[in-house]
Amino acid sequence: MNELLQTYPEEVKQILAKYPAEYKRSAVMPLLYLAQRKEGYVPRQALEDIAEILEITPTEVASIVGFYTLYYDQPAGRYRIQVCTDLPCALRGADRFLEELCQRLGIREGETTPDGLFTVEAVKCLAACHRAPVFQVQGDGEIEYHENQTVELTLAWMEQVREKVRAEKEAQS
Amino acid sequence: MANEVTLTIDGKTVRVPQGTLIVDAAKKIGIDVPVFCYHPKMEPVGMCRMCLVEVGRPVMDRATNQPVLEADGTPRIAFGAKLETACTTPVSEGMVVITQNQKVASARREVLEFLLTSHPLDCPICDKGGECPLQNLTMGYGPAESRFLFEEKMHLAKHVPLGELIYLDRERCIQCARCVRFQKDLVDDPVIGFYQRGRSLEIVTYSEPGFDSYFSGNTTDICPVGALTTADFRFGARPWELKPVASICTHCPVGCNLTFNVRREAASGGKLVIKRAMPRQNELVNEIWICDKGRFAYHFVESPQRLTQPLVRKNGELVPASWEEALEAAAQGLKQAGENLVVLAGGRLSNEDLFNLRKLADAQRGKAILYTHMGGGDLTQQVGLTPGSNLGSLGKGDAVLVIAADLHEEAPIWWMRLKAAAERGAVLVVAGARPTRLERYAAKVMRYRYGEELNIIQSLMDGAVPELSQAENLVVFYGAEGLDLLGTNALAQACATLLYRSGHYGRPNNGLVGVWKEGNAQGAWDMGFHTVGNYTRTLSEAAAVLIAAADPAGDDPLLAQALDRAGFVVVQELFLTETARRADVVFPAQSFAEREGTFTSGERRVQRFYPVIYPVPDCRADFVITAQVARKLGHALEMASPAKVFLQIASEISHYQGLTYPRLAEVEEQWPPVGRSDLYYGGTAYDNRQGMGVALPALCQQQGWQLPMFWNDRLPERTFELAAMNQQGMVWLVPFNRLYDRGTTVKPSQLLEKRMVSAHIALHPETARAVGLSGVEKVQVEGLDGPLPLVLDETLPQGVAFYPRSAGVPALAPRGVKLHAVKAEVQEG
Ligand code: SF4
Ligand code: SF4
Ligand code: FES
Ligand code: FES
Repeated sequence: MNELLQTYPEEVKQILAKYPAEYKRSAVMPLLYLAQRKEGYVPRQALEDIAEILEITPTEVASIVGFYTLYYDQPAGRYRIQVCTDLPCALRGADRFLEELCQRLGIREGETTPDGLFTVEAVKCLAACHRAPVFQVQGDGEIEYHENQTVELTLAWMEQVREKVRAEKEAQS
Repeated sequence: MANEVTLTIDGKTVRVPQGTLIVDAAKKIGIDVPVFCYHPKMEPVGMCRMCLVEVGRPVMDRATNQPVLEADGTPRIAFGAKLETACTTPVSEGMVVITQNQKVASARREVLEFLLTSHPLDCPICDKGGECPLQNLTMGYGPAESRFLFEEKMHLAKHVPLGELIYLDRERCIQCARCVRFQKDLVDDPVIGFYQRGRSLEIVTYSEPGFDSYFSGNTTDICPVGALTTADFRFGARPWELKPVASICTHCPVGCNLTFNVRREAASGGKLVIKRAMPRQNELVNEIWICDKGRFAYHFVESPQRLTQPLVRKNGELVPASWEEALEAAAQGLKQAGENLVVLAGGRLSNEDLFNLRKLADAQRGKAILYTHMGGGDLTQQVGLTPGSNLGSLGKGDAVLVIAADLHEEAPIWWMRLKAAAERGAVLVVAGARPTRLERYAAKVMRYRYGEELNIIQSLMDGAVPELSQAENLVVFYGAEGLDLLGTNALAQACATLLYRSGHYGRPNNGLVGVWKEGNAQGAWDMGFHTVGNYTRTLSEAAAVLIAAADPAGDDPLLAQALDRAGFVVVQELFLTETARRADVVFPAQSFAEREGTFTSGERRVQRFYPVIYPVPDCRADFVITAQVARKLGHALEMASPAKVFLQIASEISHYQGLTYPRLAEVEEQWPPVGRSDLYYGGTAYDNRQGMGVALPALCQQQGWQLPMFWNDRLPERTFELAAMNQQGMVWLVPFNRLYDRGTTVKPSQLLEKRMVSAHIALHPETARAVGLSGVEKVQVEGLDGPLPLVLDETLPQGVAFYPRSAGVPALAPRGVKLHAVKAEVQEG
């Protein structure tokens, strides 16, 4: 059973249509994003599914997941807060920002808040060095930048997100 | 030559073909440029920076396009600001390369310092220690001390199984990607890959079983550190304690050159034991590679199940006996049978064994029969490959036809070399009744139904693939898939006719090659063995049978019955096989590792193998056993040494004329050099010092050669009709080959157990429906014992039932059968 194909038949077709049939292996990256959409990471089964669709080996799919930082092989929070801590950012206090943020959230870098909503990670240059501290947020299939941050600003924004998620839930039930 | 360039390296001038890389040009004149990621059999990637050298090029005058000259008349050389990687930089005219100076030395030192930042330096317990490029290059060029903090060394997993055959030590990996590139580019099994980046990088496999490739062991040879090791050798011995002994793999007709590493060890009671099998370089046969069957399936040699003493039947029981007693008993039995003697031999015996067996049959006026269902060995003698042939040289303008064979399963190194030939531009035509892995590289795939093989040859003769008919050279590999003896005889004849009509014979890189099941089947034909179509009759009508290295009774219950009806039975064997159990006298034979001899490969190269370990006490070599039996019968056969038997072979068998053991032991310079002190360059495959063998001439090269009568230059009749068979509700029962079967010489290597194929019947779902087997889990094949699991597979052709050969299904050659459903037993409660 190809779960990915079953869950997203139309999406897979659209993605494949963008590549010539003999180079369909090139579709591996968009397919990985697709596989990651629902759970925020690429489950093991998706490696097999994508390999089957593209007629390559699961190992080849896995090495793409391993190579690029925007693919995940482990479940994490719905939103990933990725703080750049490279040198230029560090010079503008990014490392202290990260440390304090973690402290206030009661987690360590790489961990997830108890409500399962946020994972805080340190990453390399996000190409916004002059607006550090900066982080990007990955979640719900989107990427969003937050520049010139302070811990207070970030916490406030997180509260907004929690609010939004609560509202969503209530609307559903 | 116009497309050669001249350059100087460390002051020495060298001329090499355009496009040569600096590293190879230097190696040609004995200058070592250390490398890690570069491997002479693979495309360069420039990943490790170990090979940095200083490169200067002549300064050209832009106006005149002439080199600018110095005052003394020599060309002015401009050196780049930075060092360049010798492994990715091609040579150019007038280039000046410096591989030894301060700048280069410090670059090497620094690269090594980086590589060692987190390296565990556990050489004292590392399998590679003693033959490790990293160790050697660090000693040669590395820093004595590191500026990195010891406490910051990363610690990573050290025993990561990439499947059960190959283990990864993450700390030792230097990320050169040789292993990953080998798997992807050379054998097209991209089942290991890089995961993560930088210091987190690791080698992973997601295949099932892990590292699912028939070639995986080769990565441990070319891995420049001890990151990849085999389960077979891991922690088994230190390389410097090992003695190398040259041998030949017997598992398939490729005849890969091996080196067995042996040592005496306390753990084995002071015995000399085999610690590992390694490839031995022969660029004409296996280059520097072997498949995992050759590497891991040698354990039968040291199996505790080996026969260790002669057995004689007394009062219905096989009981131990002395050699004298057993020889006497055998001679008595054979004498009584007179001329009605059948000598049946398997193709894993050496030429010397087979020669003596055939001589014995002749002397008694009996028959010498090769135990096989594949014919055509007489035609490969006529129009086989000739001296000077080399699959490694096939390319543009050449063509290869492979028909009725699955080389990936049957002869992996041929598969690898033909894939490479196709990639170099040779026209590869693959004809088969079902898809096989070689087809991926084929210029043309020709599909037929079993029984219609000859139509393919006819269409090729009619010019269906002009690139093949008009190719400068053409090699034809024919196999036996779906064919019985009659069928393969006909196919071989058709292929020979194809070659003959288009003039593709009698010169290098042209001719016919048989994809035999056994390593020395071609040798058996050459030694004068023949085939019969009906073993049941042959065996049951014989007054005496002498069987060596064959197990008909174990293969097929019908043959077991036939053997029971035969008169007197003598068996020479390694194990107490079903056949041996039925014998009147059983002689314990030496395996190929305990003695010397020669094998003739499918390409008809005669190659020597040497004694690797001491013989199991009281076992004798097959040629000796045969000669001793013969002597009791009053015939003098040579038994002093294999070399002397071989002299007889050379004097009696015309195409072996002039061959001697010393000639077979000759070697020539090979490229790339491997296995020398510079193990980093080509890996730990062994240098060939014990002989590259000699290619036999084809009979058609002899003066005055004429088409043999039995061939007659015409296409034979086809031998059966699949459609007619299906109409009668029968299917064609076809054995297919899997590399890891459960044959006598494979099964004792328990390391491969998980990957060995199991007995089953495979059908196309449509065929299952047609014969009323939909939804059935087990089938009964008419005429065979026991039900077999049923597997449905849509890639298979219809009207045919498949089973793996030598995996326990008691059937031998293809035949028409009826299949019945076996009712699942109803479970109570
Ligand atoms: S495992 Fe060996 S061959 Fe593979 S990348 Fe690491 S060092 Fe190179
Ligand atoms: S290809 Fe054949 S001869 Fe070579 S190692 Fe494998 S089984 Fe042995
Ligand atoms: S260094 Fe942080 S964004 Fe560039
Ligand atoms: S970069 Fe040249 S050998 Fe690795």
